[in-house]
Amino acid sequence: MVLRTAHQIDAEAAQWAARMDRAALEPEQEEQFHAWLNADARCMGAYGRMRAIVLTSERARALGPDFDPTAFTTDSALAIPRRRLLQWGGAIAAAAVIGIGGTWQALRVRGRFSTGKGETKVVALKDGSVVTLNTASEIQVNYSDASRGVELVQGEALFDVAKNNTRPFVVSAGDTNVRAVGTSFTVRRLEAAPVQVLVREGVVEVFKPAINAPPVRVWANSIAEAPLDQDAAIAARPVAPTQLHRQMAWQTGQIAFEGESLAQAAAEFARYSDTKIVIDDPVLAKEEIAGLFKATDPVGFAQTIAISLNARASIGEGEVRLTR
Amino acid sequence: MSGVSDERAIWLGRQVLPHEPALRAWLKRRNLGGLEIDDVIQETYTRLFQAESVAHIHDARNYAFQVAGSVVIDHLRRMKVVPIASVPGLDYLEVGSEEPSPERQVIDRDELTRLAEMIARLPGKIRDVFTLRRVYGLSQREVAGRLGLAESTVEKHMARGFLIMAEFYGHGGNAPARPSRSDKQANQTKMER
Repeated sequence: MVLRTAHQIDAEAAQWAARMDRAALEPEQEEQFHAWLNADARCMGAYGRMRAIVLTSERARALGPDFDPTAFTTDSALAIPRRRLLQWGGAIAAAAVIGIGGTWQALRVRGRFSTGKGETKVVALKDGSVVTLNTASEIQVNYSDASRGVELVQGEALFDVAKNNTRPFVVSAGDTNVRAVGTSFTVRRLEAAPVQVLVREGVVEVFKPAINAPPVRVWANSIAEAPLDQDAAIAARPVAPTQLHRQMAWQTGQIAFEGESLAQAAAEFARYSDTKIVIDDPVLAKEEIAGLFKATDPVGFAQTIAISLNARASIGEGEVRLTR
Repeated sequence: MSGVSDERAIWLGRQVLPHEPALRAWLKRRNLGGLEIDDVIQETYTRLFQAESVAHIHDARNYAFQVAGSVVIDHLRRMKVVPIASVPGLDYLEVGSEEPSPERQVIDRDELTRLAEMIARLPGKIRDVFTLRRVYGLSQREVAGRLGLAESTVEKHMARGFLIMAEFYGHGGNAPARPSRSDKQANQTKMER
């Protein structure tokens, strides 16, 4: 089957919208319309969006009979100062929370957002930047006129930063800072581990404000690590696209492994769930794992892995035990 | 009418359409698994129309981001081989009631300014037809008579006008008002990349 492009669907939706804007459909047209609507999951949305435009444009009546489109300019009397609009925008609506296995929140200038184990959350900031929190993570947003500051208190987050050259976006994770103007990267701050910065797009600068050393530039498809030892140098290295994708799998609620040991996999699952994976056998613990797994289901993971490693998974109180 | 209620369309026009540029900018950075941004937008609206109720949503912008995100995630999940268990269904938590907004008047004025701007930027004939139909409130037949056009031509112009306005909304008013050959070519290259 040949799929129609979104553009074709939009054009068809506009035709239907115009037809219905003239008058109600004849019965046989109605039938055609429904057939069209149900042919593709995108059609209803495309039509609905067009219908929204049809109805929104009806408000143009308020422009009055004196409105002359050929004489209209943006700085005519109707236009209102942008600054005033922004002020209003800032005043509207406090944080909202919606869920999708994780939750969504919005905020203006300051705010604290966190996730529990196994949760993800998206925080859409008003400057257009979007932060996605991974499991057991917490951020504190401190926006000011001069800069866009976000503290990664703990855990891991993906930052999709809206470009703004005059207001740098700075993530602080302990003693390590990551500065960007418009890019996409994750920062991971776990206990007793180096702060890790993974850049998906653009370039960021990683530095420790307390130390008098030049910032390390980290480009797309690279990873930087800031060692726990305060004086140790920040090191960056390129990563393969496949590894990049694996490291980002949490965004779809999954964990990807490729050659990690079972012990490492168990530690990774511990970030997402209180149910511990306990491995009794040291040889078993060294077995290598590959595959894509649901992050919040350590039991399912252990059961499946047990089959492939010829081991036994027994479920106990708050744990699943792997033995041979 | 088959799930596309005008009430919902008005809500979307007011609450979601203005945020489309931001939503598109966000999607642009994501791995869409081969989907075009327009595909995601369309399916997002489909889901927004299918949602039982929107009365509880008091931040439509974030809700739209969330739904668009779930469209992408569902697509990625279908693509990947997920060896373990099943992926749970996406359920939307309900949120508190819509807040009254005293700033509505200002927003409305902004909407009207934007609308006037969009109409002014429509290409010649389409703009004339659109102005007569929408600003002066003439019927399609009256417009046809006034401009000496066939009614079907008026309808085509209106369809074209809606499509261009959809582009305006999608790209924050930066879309070209008169798509030309070179614009088409530019789009082509974009798709090829």
